[in-house]
Amino acid sequence: MDAVQTFKLTKEFNGLVAVNGVDLGIKKGELFSLLGPNGAGKTTTIKMLCCLLKPTKGTASILGYDVAKAPFKVKKLIGVSPQDTVLSERLNCWENLSLIGKVHGMSSNEAKGRSKELLETMGLMERSKDQVRKFSGGMKRRLSIAMALVHDPELLFLDEPTLGLDPQARRAVWEYIAGLKGRKTILLTTHYMEEADSLSDRIGIIDEGRVVALGTSEELKADFLKTRNMVISAENLTAEVMEDLQSKYSGVDEIDGGLKISHKDLDFKETVDYLHSRGVTVYSAALEQPTLEDVFIQITGKRLRD
Amino acid sequence: MKVWEIGKRNLKEIYRNPVLLGFLLGMPLAFMLVFCSAVGGEHASPISMSIVDEDRNQTSSAFISCLESIPAIELSEPIYNEESQAKKDMENGRIPFYLLIPSGFEEAKQAQRPINLELAYKEADPMIGLRVKPIIEAVGSEFLGMAPPLNVELKGTESKIKSEAVNFYFPGIAVFGLMILIATGAEIIAGDREKGFLARMLTTPARPWDFILGYSLPFIPVLIISTLIYLGVGMAMGLTIVGNLGHAFLIFFLIGLCSIGIAMIVGTLLKSESQAGVCWIFIVPMAMISGAWFSVEGMPSAIKSVAGALPFIHAIDGSRAVINGSSFSVIMPDLYWLVGWAVVLFAAGIVLFRRTMVS
Repeated sequence: MDAVQTFKLTKEFNGLVAVNGVDLGIKKGELFSLLGPNGAGKTTTIKMLCCLLKPTKGTASILGYDVAKAPFKVKKLIGVSPQDTVLSERLNCWENLSLIGKVHGMSSNEAKGRSKELLETMGLMERSKDQVRKFSGGMKRRLSIAMALVHDPELLFLDEPTLGLDPQARRAVWEYIAGLKGRKTILLTTHYMEEADSLSDRIGIIDEGRVVALGTSEELKADFLKTRNMVISAENLTAEVMEDLQSKYSGVDEIDGGLKISHKDLDFKETVDYLHSRGVTVYSAALEQPTLEDVFIQITGKRLRD
Repeated sequence: MKVWEIGKRNLKEIYRNPVLLGFLLGMPLAFMLVFCSAVGGEHASPISMSIVDEDRNQTSSAFISCLESIPAIELSEPIYNEESQAKKDMENGRIPFYLLIPSGFEEAKQAQRPINLELAYKEADPMIGLRVKPIIEAVGSEFLGMAPPLNVELKGTESKIKSEAVNFYFPGIAVFGLMILIATGAEIIAGDREKGFLARMLTTPARPWDFILGYSLPFIPVLIISTLIYLGVGMAMGLTIVGNLGHAFLIFFLIGLCSIGIAMIVGTLLKSESQAGVCWIFIVPMAMISGAWFSVEGMPSAIKSVAGALPFIHAIDGSRAVINGSSFSVIMPDLYWLVGWAVVLFAAGIVLFRRTMVS
């Protein structure tokens, strides 16, 4: 049984289709990332899976329970860290964690023990008795994730868990999420390609409400990137040489101190030899490794922050 | 207990927010101090006067009509036949004073004998007798053609109420203070909804009732403390509670519940930026037409009907009556209204909350 299973999951708002027939299967213990530009339907999908929105059509089940038919059973099994770090601002860390823990049926001692463990892991123990309104964005984000984990859920929804964090705080959150891999099923949405690439077991790319690609990072790169990129640092690039290259290759761009060539089945040696033959001084040349962002742009035609 | 956990969180959000708490408790307190200090025992005009007609004939009716035509006087209904009932109503605070037309009034007029009219008022408010006496004398002399000597006797009745003005204004301001719960309660709910905190809580296995009670219960200690503060300040300013304090407390408690119910509805339906305006547009006119600051007697009947259909006027009238000495049976109709409204508002709140839980 998959931890998350959706079948033709659809959500419409006044005729506008936000999620359009999404079929997903996320295995137990898997870290699955959902990538997509703003408005692609990621958060709407998560909201349906968390029982906050009723699907217009289709079904979704969490660990065997239908989200529309057994929402309270589903809610017992999930932990959610929403996109906005929503905390009770005048409560301290202990109180925020205890609130979620106890609403999930934990005893005071259980909630306290678990909170202590999470506060230590998240590096919040020192400020644990301060009201959280005085916290930085990074601290709030870490507490938000801790709140999603306090009741030890089987399935964790992390909606943009590192949004707005500085690189150091982001890395700390990544390390923590990486530590959860295999122990929890995690559904992550993110804007950061690097985050999805390094953390995820599998990635789904969603655009205009549809899942347009699904697989591991390597599978996606292999499936979608037939084009190779070559970055060349060179001198004496004449207009004639550039025109000649542009007629030969599909993508030729002049960059600072050289040029970038993108072309299907681009041959490294042949290109360098050609440049030498035309009197161009080549200082360096390298084939770029394809990134997930390249895959994303290839598939959606958009950058992730569009 | 999920209710308790949600309630505890909301209570902390209230008492750790000095601005909210200050507004909740401070504003009605400021109102009370200003009103009670400013009025100083004066009554507004025209003067509302009750009549006891023991003679009950054409002459006494004609005299009453004559009094009715004086703009400075507003005759209250009903015209009493017996003094005992008027006296009781005056003691209960239902009427401020009355004029007694004695039996034999017509006969004395025809026989040109001296006529004695009695003006009964509470000793706590002696100004009323002094203000009305010359008016009665002037009207009476004109009506009787000056022939028979007219004596208007002032009869002060011992009253337990120290200051009529404070006893009049206190219930209105206390109810107005409890109406502020609408604005503050709605702000907390709308704020939690907009910031997403409510959505986060809705991903937990808490049920609608947990939320309804969790958001309502924290206001109950606030409601009790507010009422105690109002009573304390009121007493310091001269409030006299003649009736049963528990009954007054019950009325304040019920109107507080109604306010919390309205807060839940407003907070569920409106955004936080618009709810503040909507709440105040509702609260201030409601307080006005419900008689919080002045009597509703002179208002157009349509406005009186609107006010009468809402709970606030019942809370103000009922608490005024209880404070001035009315028994439980007198305030029963007001209590029915308040209980009915509290049930309706909470039921509506639950229905709306359920809709919010899954959209």
